[in-house]
Amino acid sequence: MGKIFIGIDVGSVSTNVVAIDLSGNLIFENYQRTNGQPIASVKRGLGELKKEYENVEVLGVGATGSGRQLAGVMVGADIVKNEITAHAVASIQEVPGVRTIFEIGGQDSKIIILQDEMVVDFAMNTVCAAGTGSFLDHQSERLGIPIEEFGDMALTAQKDVRIAGRCTVFAESDMIAKQQFGFSKAEIINGLCQALVRNYINNLGRGKKLEPPFAFQGGVAANKGIVAAFKREVGPDITVPEHHKVMGALGAALLSKEYITQSKQKTTFRGFESLDMEFTPSSFDCTGCSNQCEVIKVEADGQVIAMWGDRCGKWTNSL
Amino acid sequence: MKISFPYMGVPFVYKKVLELLGHDVIMPPRPSQRTIDLGVKYSPEFACFPLKVIMGSYIEAIKMGADTIVTSGGHGPCRAGFYGENHQQTLKQLGYDVDFIVFDGWRDNIKRNIQNVRKIKGKNSIFKVYKIVRLVYQMLQVVDSLEMRIQTLRAYEKAKGTCNKIWDAIQRKLDEVETKEQLEEFKKYFYDQLDRVELQEVAPQEKIRIGIVGEIYVVMEPSINMQIEKVLGDMGVEVRRSQYLSQWVEHNMIPFKKTHEDEILKKGEPWIEISIGGHAKQTMGHIVDYKQQGFDGIIHLMPFACLPELISQGIMPKISEELDIPVLTIPLDEQTGLANNLTRIEAFVDLLKNKKNNQHKTAVIA
Ligand code: SF4
Repeated sequence: MGKIFIGIDVGSVSTNVVAIDLSGNLIFENYQRTNGQPIASVKRGLGELKKEYENVEVLGVGATGSGRQLAGVMVGADIVKNEITAHAVASIQEVPGVRTIFEIGGQDSKIIILQDEMVVDFAMNTVCAAGTGSFLDHQSERLGIPIEEFGDMALTAQKDVRIAGRCTVFAESDMIAKQQFGFSKAEIINGLCQALVRNYINNLGRGKKLEPPFAFQGGVAANKGIVAAFKREVGPDITVPEHHKVMGALGAALLSKEYITQSKQKTTFRGFESLDMEFTPSSFDCTGCSNQCEVIKVEADGQVIAMWGDRCGKWTNSL
Repeated sequence: MKISFPYMGVPFVYKKVLELLGHDVIMPPRPSQRTIDLGVKYSPEFACFPLKVIMGSYIEAIKMGADTIVTSGGHGPCRAGFYGENHQQTLKQLGYDVDFIVFDGWRDNIKRNIQNVRKIKGKNSIFKVYKIVRLVYQMLQVVDSLEMRIQTLRAYEKAKGTCNKIWDAIQRKLDEVETKEQLEEFKKYFYDQLDRVELQEVAPQEKIRIGIVGEIYVVMEPSINMQIEKVLGDMGVEVRRSQYLSQWVEHNMIPFKKTHEDEILKKGEPWIEISIGGHAKQTMGHIVDYKQQGFDGIIHLMPFACLPELISQGIMPKISEELDIPVLTIPLDEQTGLANNLTRIEAFVDLLKNKKNNQHKTAVIA
């Protein structure tokens, strides 16, 4: 019977579940689209894990991502951490000596600067789509080229073409113009990759010293065209870690391992059986005062297990 | 005359002054989503965020019956200097008939201030006005010192929410204070309450102190800065902020006094030489000051479209590096999402803990 730690990363685009062994090696990973249903996707991910590892003992669980709080109460996580710390922790293990982390996901992107394995600076973009994966998704649709082929195709480009990457709207009209000038699809795609990277670095890297070695992670790191564009922009010392898609979840698992080992606590994991429970999140507008907070309530089998979102603590403390 | 004023910080104090002077006061409601929506709808699109919120506040107060608004003018060349005029004009266009009494800093416009004092003072003798102002100034000093204690205790309280409850009580009870004797009692009572808050043991190297700097309105008004002090307190962080009302009064209302703010301005000078309006120079000065006091990090609150703070934001990487103190800038506007910023703030606190403790690879907060 093996012993494992579990990490869960619930983002708006994907939900990732990983398991690590006692030495921190990743032994299981599962990547799912969240599709607006975080609870169902966490259940599915954990279900897959259970199928593969019937009799394991779970020593600890960590949750991260924008849905970390919900995932945390649902599974009974030992530690709930923000994505920045989680990503950094995973990178430090997977890319020795890493100084700068580029992370580009479907809906947001970050830059994390480290020194002696410590986060010393970071920036996060969640407002503008131009520096994220959805920018590429959108363009691949327009051009009728599956996103999986995007990267390889970009690498075949013969000439450089500069495409305005400030925002998706400009990029689109610029792209059409460049197509009409006679640039090939490969060249346009390559131009798009470069535009995304330029834009990402301008937005997030402003005022920061970007030192190698670099790690590049997140769903977009699978795209060779983007990797090439990064190399062109910052130099060759850039590593795409093997588990680049699930680094947040890996970090959460590592954090739970560290926490359990240091505190010698027993895990608060509800067990795989909890997957059969019915979780219902709901929200209501409190009318207690002029704040009118939107309060989130989570019920498990009809019993309220968590509430948050109230500014005064009236609901959070009522449990 | 039914007077109202902008809601900021501990607004019961403004209410107190006006009431003691014998005016009818309309207490504006605490800024809520509705306030912000109203303000955004009726303000120029490119105006800065505080102007919009305050616009919303005024409209709410007017709907409650206010016909006169007392406010302070801004300093120097940034848009804050036109706040009064801008609000007045917009409200007029909306068909509201209100009077504005705009106080500038003493040093800025003595003549207008004297006129204003005349308007406000009603039939009270100058001596009485002096006494009232003095009492209220003392009240502010008491409230500020209580608040600073809360900003520390909140980080370590055993039962989360204890300090918040006391703070609410302080603001409510303040309304009943009318004399010096009552103020003394009030002070004793709440100091005592705070002495009784049960605290967790935290090792000194685990303690984190953050200074909050930036434009005065977003720094002072919790309802539009995501209640950042409470959020940080709940994460176990001690906070101080760059602006307290008693200091503001000292600097703006008491002529010829050498104040804390003068000192701060001096410390900011090497970073921003001239006055560019708003509180950008103070922002720089406070960062220097917090560093000297041994703070661990700075959170810089910047209203969207605030010109002076945009300039100070540009200087942040440099000052942060040179003084070796991490800075997190958070822009605030009507679209500010709490969830995103919580992630940032959490990660920032992790960063500060790491920096302080060096030995951990990662900070783990249970
Ligand atoms: S949850 Fe508390 S702060 Fe929020 S609206 Fe209700 S009473 Fe007001």
